[in-house]
Amino acid sequence: MAEESFLADDFLRQLMSVGEVDLLVGIPSHNHASTLLQALHCVEETLRQNFVRERAVILNVDGGSTDDTRKLFIESSERRDVAHKGLTSLRTIHRISVEYDRSPSQGLALHHIVAAADLLRARACAVVSPGTTNLTSNWVANLLRPVYREGLDFVAPLYARSRFQGLLARDLLYPMSRAVFGQRIRELYSDEWGFSGRLATQCLEKEVWQEETMRARPEAWMAITAIGGGLKCGQYFLGPKPASPAGTSPDLVDAIRQTVGNLFWCMEINEPQWLNRSSSQPVPTFGPDHELSSDGVPASPEKIFDLFRSGVNELEPILASILAPETHAQIKAIALSDRLKFHFAAELWVKTLYEFAASYHHSVLNRDHLVQALVPLYRGRLYSFLLEHANSSPEVMETRSEMVCQEFERQKPYLVERWTTKH
Amino acid sequence: MPQLLDESLWYKDAVIYQLHVRTFCDSNGDGIGDFRGLTTKLDYLQELGINAIWLLPFYPSPLRDDGYDIADYTSVHPSYGTLQDFKDFLTAAHNRRIRVITEMVVNHTSDQHPWFQEARSSRDNPKRDWYVWSDTDTRYQDVRIIFVDTEMSNWAWDPISKAYYWHRFFGHQPDLNYDNPAVRQAMWEVMKFWLDIGVDGFRLDAVPYLIEREGTSCENLPETHEIIREFRQRIDLAYPGKMLLAEANQWPADVRAYFGNGDEFHMAFHFPLMPRMFMAVKLEDRKPIIEILEQTPQIPPNCQWCIFLRNHDELTLEMVTSVERDYMYDEYAGDKAMRINLGIRRRLAPMMENDRRRVELLTGLLLSMPGTPIIYYGDEIGMGDNVYLGDRNGVRTPMQWNGGWNAGFSTADPERLYSPLISNPVYGYQAINVDSQRRSAHSLLSWTKSVIQTRNAFRVFSRGSIEFLNPSNHRVLAYVRRLGEEKVLVVNNLSNSAQAVELNLQMYKRHIPIEMFGRNLFPRIGDLPYLLTLGPYQFYWFRLRRI
Amino acid sequence: MKELVIQGLRQAYDNLVHMFAEFLPRLLVMLVIIVVGLFVAYFLKTILRALLHVTRLDRLSEEAGASRFLRMAALPSMTELLSRSLFWVTWSGFILIGISVLGVAGLQEQISRLFLLLPAIFVAILILFLGLVTANFLSRAALLAAVNAGYPAPKLLSWSIRFVIWALAISMALEQVGVARQTVIAAFSIVFGAFMFGLAIAFGLGGRELAREFLERNLGDKKKEKYEEPQPL
Repeated sequence: MAEESFLADDFLRQLMSVGEVDLLVGIPSHNHASTLLQALHCVEETLRQNFVRERAVILNVDGGSTDDTRKLFIESSERRDVAHKGLTSLRTIHRISVEYDRSPSQGLALHHIVAAADLLRARACAVVSPGTTNLTSNWVANLLRPVYREGLDFVAPLYARSRFQGLLARDLLYPMSRAVFGQRIRELYSDEWGFSGRLATQCLEKEVWQEETMRARPEAWMAITAIGGGLKCGQYFLGPKPASPAGTSPDLVDAIRQTVGNLFWCMEINEPQWLNRSSSQPVPTFGPDHELSSDGVPASPEKIFDLFRSGVNELEPILASILAPETHAQIKAIALSDRLKFHFAAELWVKTLYEFAASYHHSVLNRDHLVQALVPLYRGRLYSFLLEHANSSPEVMETRSEMVCQEFERQKPYLVERWTTKH
Repeated sequence: MPQLLDESLWYKDAVIYQLHVRTFCDSNGDGIGDFRGLTTKLDYLQELGINAIWLLPFYPSPLRDDGYDIADYTSVHPSYGTLQDFKDFLTAAHNRRIRVITEMVVNHTSDQHPWFQEARSSRDNPKRDWYVWSDTDTRYQDVRIIFVDTEMSNWAWDPISKAYYWHRFFGHQPDLNYDNPAVRQAMWEVMKFWLDIGVDGFRLDAVPYLIEREGTSCENLPETHEIIREFRQRIDLAYPGKMLLAEANQWPADVRAYFGNGDEFHMAFHFPLMPRMFMAVKLEDRKPIIEILEQTPQIPPNCQWCIFLRNHDELTLEMVTSVERDYMYDEYAGDKAMRINLGIRRRLAPMMENDRRRVELLTGLLLSMPGTPIIYYGDEIGMGDNVYLGDRNGVRTPMQWNGGWNAGFSTADPERLYSPLISNPVYGYQAINVDSQRRSAHSLLSWTKSVIQTRNAFRVFSRGSIEFLNPSNHRVLAYVRRLGEEKVLVVNNLSNSAQAVELNLQMYKRHIPIEMFGRNLFPRIGDLPYLLTLGPYQFYWFRLRRI
Repeated sequence: MKELVIQGLRQAYDNLVHMFAEFLPRLLVMLVIIVVGLFVAYFLKTILRALLHVTRLDRLSEEAGASRFLRMAALPSMTELLSRSLFWVTWSGFILIGISVLGVAGLQEQISRLFLLLPAIFVAILILFLGLVTANFLSRAALLAAVNAGYPAPKLLSWSIRFVIWALAISMALEQVGVARQTVIAAFSIVFGAFMFGLAIAFGLGGRELAREFLERNLGDKKKEKYEEPQPL
């Protein structure tokens, strides 16, 4: 019996009309009527100014918007250049819009984008989010150019952040992925990135698209697939990471479920790739490696500590099934310490994470529950960080981050041992 | 002289063949084409299917600008024959129902023209004011230079009268002063001379530049239009049915003014469309064509655009953006020897890399888009060029009639020819010539004849409206030409690969498309989008019949 | 007298021999049925195992998440579980048939009743198993959600959910096998109702503040966050 194709007929027809392209820019959307046009015009400007002769298509993949998002995309027209008697770009900048599902899923959106990239034989692709309010045409160009002109296969963004922004990425996702997969890509989980058609084809062939963990955060998997396939990765400095408008960003629990859950799953399915790898390598970086600005400490961090302490307490049986007894004991001990003298050492943090990863692998309990059980511990680590670095300069914080990365790499044999042996 | 039928809008239905008498056929063995020789080739032109000839300047001239530097407006250069030879040619052409359009270089003369000789002789000469003089070269400061490769300034110093004279083209081509009524009258007398002989129309060369005013670009000024209207009024009164064609290399919106309210030029060249046709084929995208036509304004019902692929000049890239110009240079003129004056001095076939399919596609576009088409001599057989001949002479080589002595152009010694023949193995006269192509029903020549014949059989091409279909596949350019109940669907694949296209032909539901070359029926148009597939560079012309 | 006794004994001996003579064949038949049943059950188990390997049931089960539950319950893989279940069911059937051949009075009736009850018992076991797993899963999910959201008394919530599901599962299982149906249903209704009533009072009176905060947080002005957590990504 013929397998069902996930590509709708209308989408396929639109792809047929476009034909082969050199560049493809995907814009996943869901109720982005207020910001979509701005993103679209940024992309068009990039193509008009930086890729004048290239054949390009802008692909809007929509997850069941209930506002006018799709309509705006379809009906907007290319900006005219008044200086040249109203002529626009040299080539047609194609636009395609497809509704991939009735509810948003980054994984499904990406599936459609890589399918389009493969069918249209695009050389370089980028994904940009209309939710990124400070998106500029330079950002898009900086994601496409290294792929199109320098031959990279995956380009992650780099951002300028405020001191206390993105700690989940800086204190967990980056150092852990760096230690495990061996490449120093800072922003594996982001809203915009670039990739090659070659990588798109490889990703399309994998049978992971129906996985629950791919729904929200597929981009890291893409990078890890590139690493595993021996393809070239890099990163490009874009600018300040925008702060999400209130109520729009995922809360901490969702963020951890989506990212850490995805990271553990990537470790699971790419096991042969990283088990024997022992060190990490820098990747080609364009622009500054990253930047931290000196912004203030968030208000009321005490609540964070309370949540950590209550979490350790209430989740004791769960944590006992995940962690090694010594690790668990150490965590219980620090949970009892005075809040002003609290310190969650990097060594303990790394050990904890590796034990979580190994327990995930051994399915000691439901995997989503396992990842959720990490939340209070992350809060403890976060609180420790805030306490320690309330007045630290960005340089000091950066030095400390590098030490954490090295701790992850140093303890990697422990991860391998926990992973390969059922306790 | 036999009277041709007074079809006052004949120019709308014309298929014009552009040639220089010097290039076509030499009858007296001096190595230079002449009118007698041209007359012997009228049968060929009639067989080709064209019905108008546009002759490049054949007047007495020092020939420093290929005849556009005129030294005597009312005679024929002795190399090309005599005035009687011309009259005989004209009669023979009219006998074959072929009209003749000649050049009227109104903007400037040669510095050897008696008018200028007089004007420069002294500041008090009555003809002094027939040209534009200045004691300094600072007037009209911001006016652009047209021949950027050779001229540094629009002013030239005359050592005889110790003053500067104005020239928008070469320095040896001083501009006439149209603010002087005497100049206008003189030019009218020139026109009358030729109209009395029986010429059917004039291509007015360089019309935007007739008038100069300080603080302006000295192009397209209102006074220019007054002058044109005056000429037109006189012609309409005394010589009805004659045609004026404007050479105004401007954006369509600016050329529009030259049609006036139907009381200025009958026709004008659509310069900006031409490079975009070449661009569209290279880009494999109809966008450049659609965009420029969307910007093209409506013109009075008795007027017509003139469209062309190539001509005696460089393929001009003045009316494109810098991005487009760079693209065209890179794609069509990679060798810098091919470039001159913001243009490309190459012929059609070499630009198409001798790809017969592309040549046919572009010719098909030329003959099916709205406007009167002009075919440049030699393009019907796919003649090549010689970019090393200097100026634009590379596209003005002798016509290739056969594979024998001097390509059948002349009996003179080859060294005596006015220009060397194209003789390389690809485009040389041994490979590309009229005689060998006449022998094959499948040659480019035969094909061109049949396409012209098809076009001539349906007035919808020359007078019909155009509606673009804009299918989602941008590699396909599709449009419907319509005149009354006559409808023709034209579909062009601009790309090098096979294409599928779905056309929204709802408005023509229940019509039967009949392919116009093979006359085969295609499936009737129904409710669903009409699916067509086209091979690389293929095009269709369908008559849409409702039976 | 002596002769009567001897005759009696001889008679008894004859009866015994006769009984054995009648019983032994049946015993032999029973043993044959059981042995044949063993082979048949083993054969069917092997066939089913091979079939399930071909259809990759284990993989489907892994993807569906059922394998995890089995591992947690220290049960073998789905293929193995089903194969073994078929083995035991088949052989049990043959054993019961063999026993019924013995012709022991009363036993046949009980065996028939047991046969009739078997499906219900099977379903009841399944309900209990599912109930156990579901209770485990949902209570843990509730615990984690409550802890991470900072709600007070997360363990209470978790235990409440576990209790409700257990009670439901046990009631359903007992009802399935027909054990004191009416009593069980009534008892469940009373206990469940009382529990919910108690929760309502506890949360309604004691949890007024909590309810208010909950409503405010979800339906009211979202700016009234209790604290600010730095943007994690």
